[in-house]
Amino acid sequence: MLTLTNVQIMYDRAIEAVRDVSLTVRPGQIVALLGSNGAGKSTILKSISNVLYPEEGEVLHGEIRIGEEDALALSADDIVRRGIVHVPEGRRLFPLMTVEENLRMGGYLHGRAAVAERLERVYALFPRLKERRAYVAGYLSGGEQQMAAVGRALIAGPKLLMLDEPSLGLAPQIIDTIFETIVSLNRDEGMAILLVEQNAALALKVADYGYVVENGRVVLDGPAERISQNEDVKEFYLGFTEGGARKSFRDIKHYKRRKRWLS
Amino acid sequence: MDLFLNLVASGLVIGSIYGLIAISFAIIFKTTGVLNFAQGEVMMLIAYLSWSLGTSLALPFVALIVASIVISVAVGVLVERIFIRPMIGQPVFALVMVTIGLAVTLRSLTVLIWGPDAEPYAASIAGGIVEIGPVVLFSEQVFALALFAVVMVLVFAFFRYTRIGNAMRATAMDETCALLMGVDVRRISSMAWAVSAVVSGLAGVSFAIMFSRAPDLWFQGLRSFPAAILGGLDSPIGSGFGGLIIGVIGDLSEGYIGQGLKEISGFVVIIIVLMLRPYGLFGEKELERV
Repeated sequence: MLTLTNVQIMYDRAIEAVRDVSLTVRPGQIVALLGSNGAGKSTILKSISNVLYPEEGEVLHGEIRIGEEDALALSADDIVRRGIVHVPEGRRLFPLMTVEENLRMGGYLHGRAAVAERLERVYALFPRLKERRAYVAGYLSGGEQQMAAVGRALIAGPKLLMLDEPSLGLAPQIIDTIFETIVSLNRDEGMAILLVEQNAALALKVADYGYVVENGRVVLDGPAERISQNEDVKEFYLGFTEGGARKSFRDIKHYKRRKRWLS
Repeated sequence: MDLFLNLVASGLVIGSIYGLIAISFAIIFKTTGVLNFAQGEVMMLIAYLSWSLGTSLALPFVALIVASIVISVAVGVLVERIFIRPMIGQPVFALVMVTIGLAVTLRSLTVLIWGPDAEPYAASIAGGIVEIGPVVLFSEQVFALALFAVVMVLVFAFFRYTRIGNAMRATAMDETCALLMGVDVRRISSMAWAVSAVVSGLAGVSFAIMFSRAPDLWFQGLRSFPAAILGGLDSPIGSGFGGLIIGVIGDLSEGYIGQGLKEISGFVVIIIVLMLRPYGLFGEKELERV
């Protein structure tokens, strides 16, 4: 339902953030996009939503297709209309609006009746939000904000939900809640999920397929089980060596670390 | 006491004009981050167009107001489309410079088309003098007060309850995130200009009815600027109240202290207020969670 082919993204026509990235999300799949800080994961999501231009970013090469349609020719609101909804990194709620006003903003493109019905479903999914519905969003805790951000996206009725680091800065218990919700949305409603995460262990546990991004390039991709079996991923993302013992970074020769994906 | 009450009343009348213009400053600033220095000139243009229409067609008053609203929407949308839209992506400072250029252009254009003379606004409201206790007001002045009250309520309801109003608030808070909600930010900007032109256009018509349509009408825009700062540039409702405060202070200082203070009292007030509350009386502070 979503394909990126050889996408190159530059900021300010000077800084290359993403090079030659190809990836596919099929209906009903959970796809994980892994990688460290600054690898270009968020930039990839923004290019799909077509919201790079406020930051002077631009897709210079390659193509992004939603189904058969050229997504680069669509405006940001058309992308949302096609059912691709993006939960940005760091929640980004509208801070001075109440929780309910935030949730309703998610339904901006939808009719009153559809929004009312989905609002009830979001409240059933996150009862905490119902308690907090009249609170100003800026004062919520991080976990509540993440729930509100996911809830807001769900009100847009996504076919493909893109989540940018939903676990960032949250307590483990909240992370569990969020991930359980993601899995159940995928399992029960067949919603496709594109998940950007730094927490590789967590993401690979729920994903069907994974991509590892480093320095703006996809260096590894495959079914999630195969990625979690990869020695390099084990060592650098999951933190284990062959025997399962922890290893000191002092023992790793620097050239080996630098060239780790070239083998 | 009578002098005091009459000064307050006339202050409220002129203050409601300031308030309306301040609201229109705030609507554009809140949604797009642009300070429209041509607000007074846009207002003057609408007042002139509405005057021409009113004098040539002899419309009844209500029809004239409706026609003025239509004209305002057209002017707002056109100004945004022609002068502002091509500047998207440029630094805000460049945009502000464009509005200053627009201001000067519109001022000259008005004189060029309609000539430099002041003319009475023919479509006055039937009535005459309204007495409320010791306070004596003309019906035109009562109209200005009523208009202000109605616009304040409508603006409040617009930003609180309508889909477009909420989208404007959302765009103001986080533009990228509004895009992710499916908000067409460019359309929102164009609507903000239209709504703002309607509010200031009504203020211009109301002012022209009270005094005359004259090529110095734009100066009311400059005078309303302190009101917007006082109330908080990102708060349309606050800016409205700021207008009333500036209007009353202006008339009181002129009545009790001396001629000429009316012009500067507003600016004195904003200097003091900004020292104490830099975001204005009703402006929004950055929310910070602790």
